[in-house]
Amino acid sequence: MEKFSFKDILVLIAGLFITAGVAYAILTVTGFIPTDIAKLFYEGAFVGQRNILNTLNIATPYILTSVATVISFRVGMFNIGINGSMYVGALYAAWAGYRFTTLGHLSHVSLCIFIGMLVGALWMLMPALLRVYAGVSEIISTIILNFVAVLFVSYMCNGPFRAAPIAPTTARILETAELKQYFPNSEFHTGFFIAVFVAFAAYFVLNKTTFGYELRSGGDGLVGFYPSRYSSYLGIPSDRSAITGMLISGAIGGLAGAVIVLGNTRNFYQEMAFNQGFDGILIAIIGKLEPLGGLISSLFYAALKNGGLFVDYKTEVSREIVVILMSILIFFVSAQKIVSSLERFEFVKKLDKFFSRKVK
Amino acid sequence: MNKKQKELAIEVKGITKSYPGVVANKSVDFTVNKGEIHALVGENGAGKSTLMKILYGIEQADEGEVSVNGNVVQINKVDAAIKLGIGMVHQEFHLVPSFTAAENIGLGEEPRNSNGLINWDKLNKDVSEIAEKYGLDVDPNLRMIDASVGIQQRTEILKTLYRNADILILDEPTAVLTPQETDELFQVIRSLVDEGKTVIFITHKLREVMEISDRVTVMRDGEVQGVSETKKTSVKELANLMVGREVFLQVKKEKSKPTDVVLEVKDLWVHDARGLVAVKGVNFEVAKGEIVGIAGVDGNGQTELVEALAGLRDTSRGEILFEGKNIEKNSPRQRRREGLAHIPEDRSNTGLNVRLAIWENLIGTSYFRSPLSRGGIVSMKNILRHSNELRETFDIRSPGVTIRAGSLSGGNQQKVVVARELSEEPALTIASQPTRGVDIGNIEAIHEQIVEIRDSGKAVLLISAELDEVMSVADRVGVIYEGEFVEWVDPSKVNQEQMGLYMAGIKG
Repeated sequence: MEKFSFKDILVLIAGLFITAGVAYAILTVTGFIPTDIAKLFYEGAFVGQRNILNTLNIATPYILTSVATVISFRVGMFNIGINGSMYVGALYAAWAGYRFTTLGHLSHVSLCIFIGMLVGALWMLMPALLRVYAGVSEIISTIILNFVAVLFVSYMCNGPFRAAPIAPTTARILETAELKQYFPNSEFHTGFFIAVFVAFAAYFVLNKTTFGYELRSGGDGLVGFYPSRYSSYLGIPSDRSAITGMLISGAIGGLAGAVIVLGNTRNFYQEMAFNQGFDGILIAIIGKLEPLGGLISSLFYAALKNGGLFVDYKTEVSREIVVILMSILIFFVSAQKIVSSLERFEFVKKLDKFFSRKVK
Repeated sequence: MNKKQKELAIEVKGITKSYPGVVANKSVDFTVNKGEIHALVGENGAGKSTLMKILYGIEQADEGEVSVNGNVVQINKVDAAIKLGIGMVHQEFHLVPSFTAAENIGLGEEPRNSNGLINWDKLNKDVSEIAEKYGLDVDPNLRMIDASVGIQQRTEILKTLYRNADILILDEPTAVLTPQETDELFQVIRSLVDEGKTVIFITHKLREVMEISDRVTVMRDGEVQGVSETKKTSVKELANLMVGREVFLQVKKEKSKPTDVVLEVKDLWVHDARGLVAVKGVNFEVAKGEIVGIAGVDGNGQTELVEALAGLRDTSRGEILFEGKNIEKNSPRQRRREGLAHIPEDRSNTGLNVRLAIWENLIGTSYFRSPLSRGGIVSMKNILRHSNELRETFDIRSPGVTIRAGSLSGGNQQKVVVARELSEEPALTIASQPTRGVDIGNIEAIHEQIVEIRDSGKAVLLISAELDEVMSVADRVGVIYEGEFVEWVDPSKVNQEQMGLYMAGIKG
């Protein structure tokens, strides 16, 4: 994998500047004072305990979905179905949360998380098997399964899992199944630590274990390298790697859904709409398909989201404009070639060399 | 020498170009006369390709100036080079497989009718005319997906001629060709020059330099080592200039002393990817202490035979005995464990994962063993030490082992494969085209290593389309034709002509 270099930081800075320019223009034209909006945006993302906690809370599922993306992509499978795994993982975590009544706190939470991950993984079993044994593109099958997941969970909380006669929702999970919220003014909960742990674990497994090497041997690029001649030539079964990678990816996707239910909503209801599975792909790519890169990008992305929400809440700036500005920022931040014209300057080269020094 | 040849088609003065960590061209001066065939030789990484990329506008020089036909020019993009009459045929072809020859040639420059639609008749006619003029036999309506490598190359040449190129740069054009196709290419090059074109011919096969070129420039480490008229120099001299030290073109080795049989193949039948029989009941043995060569034109079942031996392809009938045990059902990993190494012919897809780092490619056969990993956890310290040792032993030229294998030149990629496979000290090494795309100094090194393996009592099966290679390295050679062995020969007792006949399937 390509490592981070100084150029990436330049891209980020250049992206921020260009977006600031565009934002200035749009806000001025629509009759706002850009500097005030910028201050509010910054405040919403980074200032004060409550705002910081909210940023971390928003980041939690993104960290998990981006790590899920990283794993499947680097195995060589283009998994677009993490959102689907999130839905089913969330639904069954909720089910386990109210269904098992005699357990202690730790064992109940662990069981709910385990079930969420298991269901999320099983959700990816079919596309993985279809890819390996029938040659069905995992892109197609996982996209379709995303639609299936939405309809499936909607049916389940309307039917078999429905608790309240008035609204299509599951029963509230028991207190023993809750992920703890630590502060009265924010939904920030233990799930954040779980997500950070998962990111570090994924980093360790992918880069520091023979298992991770076998997983990556057939892929390790942006998309779609399965089946790899290289790994089968070495005698590493690339079929097994592809399936394993998809299952792990699905399990982490399921976990992302589970922590939302166990930590934030405490039940699963029909109107729950996830898009973190899709945003996770974007975040993972901005993070250079490294788990820790995904972790950092998730925090950045969540800060943007939270800042945007704050502006939306505090001012008359319409929600659409906030979303547009965020999209522009993401767009420019991922525009690698913006800074290639800067490379001709000697000091940029030197800085680049300095920051990209590696172990020899 | 006539007056015409004194005019300069290209004059390059003081070109310097550096990439992060490496200076690819150091104040290079390079001139090409009008109407000549100029060979540019040098090892991989000597800076030939960089120089040509600068001429063709793909890369920009840091310093220096370029003159074309006597005028100083700025070539800052490929379009500018094409306008100046420079055409380049890359080593990897840039063709649309589903398009016909004419469609590929006209792409972007299509002649149009008055209504703005493409005038296919004119395009086909133009293409045929140019093809006929220069003796380039290409059917304009042939789709590239169905064309042989030789025809694809001719299409590429036509593409440059269609854009009125006067100066043609051919980047290692013979690397992918069979001997017959090479001869045809040389005829084409001669007729191009007869029609007043100038050809720059990049290669590291010195025999070809002697055969085709008028003048030759030798590069090493980004610098020009010498320029000479071809007839005033020799292969030996060029080789020494290229490598920078004395080179022995003949492999030095003692007579082989074969002992126990390691590999025994009995009545082996193998089908190819399309389900056709590719290997038709071959029988042979490889013993410890000998190098068995398999010669033959590409596509006569060598690929399938090697894949079957290495465990990458199922056999349909027959037996493969390795040290007396049947290994047909064993996975590639199991075969490796028993002592079989495999240098595959397809380096970039099979032999390497070019997206992985060099060290990750180097540990492909050993990562699961101590000290590289313990209990499933890799030890980066030991891996980097191991990788750097291999990098030094096998002279892999790279700034480090943590960069991607894909960023290495072809020859250095091959050295990564060879390093990984030979470091295992296998009982039998199957080496398929081990020196394809590798430069002369390193070919020598790889050949020496192969002989060394043999002398340490190990067995080698060497498959190569380069007749010279098989004949000079192997102790015993089987010539394969359409999936069967035509003849087994002692390379010291047979001449090239006789081998040529065997390779064409004619028994002596």
